[in-house]
Amino acid sequence: MIRNLAASRLKMVQHVTTRKKKTVGKGKLNAPAFICPLAQAKDHGIRQVMDAEGNLTGDLADPDLADGQLIRLYEMMVLVRAIDDRGWILQRSGRVEFWIPHRGLEAVHTAATIAFNDDDWIFLGYRHPGTLLLRGVPLVQLFAQFFGRADEPFKGRRLPTLMGDRRANVVPMTTQVGSYIPHACGAAWAAKIKGDDTRFLAFFGEGSSSRGEFHSALNFAGVHKPPVVFLCENNGWAVTTPTSLQTASTTFAEKGDAYGVRNIRVDGNDPLAVFAATREARDLAPEKGATLIEAVTYRMGYHTTSDNPDLYRTPEEVAVWEAWDPLIRMRKYLENKDLWNEQHEEELWARCLAEIDVAVHAAEAMPLPGPASMFDDTFEEPTWMLEEQREQLLAELEPGE
Amino acid sequence: MAIQVLMPALSPTMTEGKIAAWMKSEGDAITSGDVLCEIETDKATMEVEAIDEGVLGKILVAAGTEGVAVNVPIAVILEDGEDASAADALSAAPESAPAAAPVAAPAAPAAASPAPEPEYTGPTKAMTVREALRDAMAEEMRADENVFLMGEEVAQYQGAYKVSQGLLDEFGERRVIDTPITEHGFAGLGVGAAFGGLKPIVEFMTFNFAMQACDQIINSAAKTLYMSGGQMGAPMVFRGPNGAAARVGAQHSQCYASWYGHIPGLKVVTPWSGEDAKGLLKAAIRDPNPVLVLENEILYGQSFEVPDDPDFTVPIGKAKVERAGSDVTITAFSITVGYALEAAETLAAEGIEAEVINLRSIRPLDIDTISNSVQKTNRLVTVEEGWAPYGVGCEIATQVMEVAFDYLDAPVHRVSGEDVPMPYAANLEALALPNADKIVAAAKAVCYAN
Repeated sequence: MIRNLAASRLKMVQHVTTRKKKTVGKGKLNAPAFICPLAQAKDHGIRQVMDAEGNLTGDLADPDLADGQLIRLYEMMVLVRAIDDRGWILQRSGRVEFWIPHRGLEAVHTAATIAFNDDDWIFLGYRHPGTLLLRGVPLVQLFAQFFGRADEPFKGRRLPTLMGDRRANVVPMTTQVGSYIPHACGAAWAAKIKGDDTRFLAFFGEGSSSRGEFHSALNFAGVHKPPVVFLCENNGWAVTTPTSLQTASTTFAEKGDAYGVRNIRVDGNDPLAVFAATREARDLAPEKGATLIEAVTYRMGYHTTSDNPDLYRTPEEVAVWEAWDPLIRMRKYLENKDLWNEQHEEELWARCLAEIDVAVHAAEAMPLPGPASMFDDTFEEPTWMLEEQREQLLAELEPGE
Repeated sequence: MAIQVLMPALSPTMTEGKIAAWMKSEGDAITSGDVLCEIETDKATMEVEAIDEGVLGKILVAAGTEGVAVNVPIAVILEDGEDASAADALSAAPESAPAAAPVAAPAAPAAASPAPEPEYTGPTKAMTVREALRDAMAEEMRADENVFLMGEEVAQYQGAYKVSQGLLDEFGERRVIDTPITEHGFAGLGVGAAFGGLKPIVEFMTFNFAMQACDQIINSAAKTLYMSGGQMGAPMVFRGPNGAAARVGAQHSQCYASWYGHIPGLKVVTPWSGEDAKGLLKAAIRDPNPVLVLENEILYGQSFEVPDDPDFTVPIGKAKVERAGSDVTITAFSITVGYALEAAETLAAEGIEAEVINLRSIRPLDIDTISNSVQKTNRLVTVEEGWAPYGVGCEIATQVMEVAFDYLDAPVHRVSGEDVPMPYAANLEALALPNADKIVAAAKAVCYAN
């Protein structure tokens, strides 16, 4: 059993429990369920390294990561969940405006990130704080963005969870889901034209595969073979739309076939399967060009804090997926290797929560962006109209003027 | 009865062409569908097929002749039993269809008009707007190896409107790239390439086809610098013909100047002359921000004297007084500058001296030049092909009101496209667009000169 250690974490669980009682398991929209296919992964063409118990039963070889790297990966997955728990509470208590939960989606982005080198570029989707943290971005910077403070790279201009930092080669997400898939493809193409060896990774959800940009980017990638990996996180639900209403294709991976793009379907709750597929795709990129990876996973939480999944899916559906929780599986895998135990777990959670406490307090104490900064960076150089507006605003704010 | 073969118009905007080769000789029998000759236009080489049967009696325009106007007789076909004398009689007769006069650029301002800003005084070369745009790209590609051109048909076919002629040969397929047909897709690829350190010139076959690329242009190219706190932007150029051409209907005849002029983070330029085209495009390529270059298909074939100097650029954000005058200010951009200059000549004959301002940039707008002019003339007419509501004229009128209200002796008058989707019928299309007469009428109205 995984015990819940911290008060904030307990609050989250209590919240979920209350929710379940309220709805008595009715998906009001009667939308088709996203039935967990992971127990029959082979039948669904889903490649695995490990089963639900962390045993090496899958058809993908264990990538044999060093012990230190395995532990670093697991610790980051736990930190991501702890951040999500806190983000939820911060939003529900009115301290941040908006939150996009990550729960259940910790494996894909963390494992894919360590499969790439630090000078490779990653285009983020929602729910991917682990990528930045693995690239060395301090936790306080993330919370500074969530609070819209001055001392973060985006100067209070970007929604919480539209994360990124160009200094870490992590391109922040654009709100129009999927519209950045061609950006990743174009940047990879630019690297190829320039003759440098940078590789590119783009995360997006299965809902984005319905957007024209997904098809444009894959089509172009098939023709021009830029060194890019398209990582489609199939988490079952695009807000309220289940995969069965998103596409009539059997898988999202097979869409790559139409464009001549190599593709693979992996268990997205198996971090080692994600790592193995992503690392292989990265390594093959200079020779084979793009790969489309479909990582089958599940959004256990809400789509955003403005959403209520009780209206469209049942607790029974969620419960099956909870048995395949990536944190549980990775922990069991580590325990099987004698790399982890209860004491480690308790210490890790305590450390994560303490780090988050420090980051939250430090970020919340930071100043808000100065009014004059609002006009910066509209153009590379300020125009006369912007200067005029800036002066006007400052004059209006000046007491006694 | 002998039949005249007339120089055909092979596209709605073609006014003249070259007879590249005759595929039949005088005396050859012709059946319907035979290829008579090859005609080279500024866009392509096309074959002209016979419609009628008979014998090719006489070739009136020899192979290799350039600048043959549309509707000029180029050959005579004799029917059975007719002899060559019928062809002579017909070719000697007055032309049954008058040759369409080539569209000439309105005369440059008279030498006597004082030029209020320093003019380029170096060497110039006569060339079309199309060639000026091509030279601008070629010069910048030679100077900066990160600059490259992408778009539909820009490489192998050398551009749907032949703007990229010769670029593939000179720069190769690494830097002149044909893209699949998806404006929002390849606009997004260009944004990504700009993120990745290259300097893309994204050609749209026309901005009319690029409406689906608005999301990439506005949400990604224009906003990324701001939303990333200055960490990364999209220095790049989106260019292509904008607005109406001729007889291409509602979905192909729209001006996007006010659409893109509305967006913070974008610069928008609208060349009229060859000098504008070359200087503004070069400045756009060098600019560190995303710049839209809204060209005009009808202007592509017009010739101007163009500065012949790789260092020549036209500053973005600066208008040009094309003609000085004391009685009324007329602002215009793109093709309407020609109409405004034409109107100014008519007005001058009636004793009204119009000052014509070529805006050159829509954003940033050079309000100083407009305001200085209005302070002198006290009257203002704005001209644009696009629709009036929320248009470029609205913005100019508002800004003039803010900075020079007390100088106005009459309400500002807007000349614009009629507020309807562009009709196809030739007469309705002509009525829907601004022209010199409409500008003359508006100028007289603000001068109370009727």
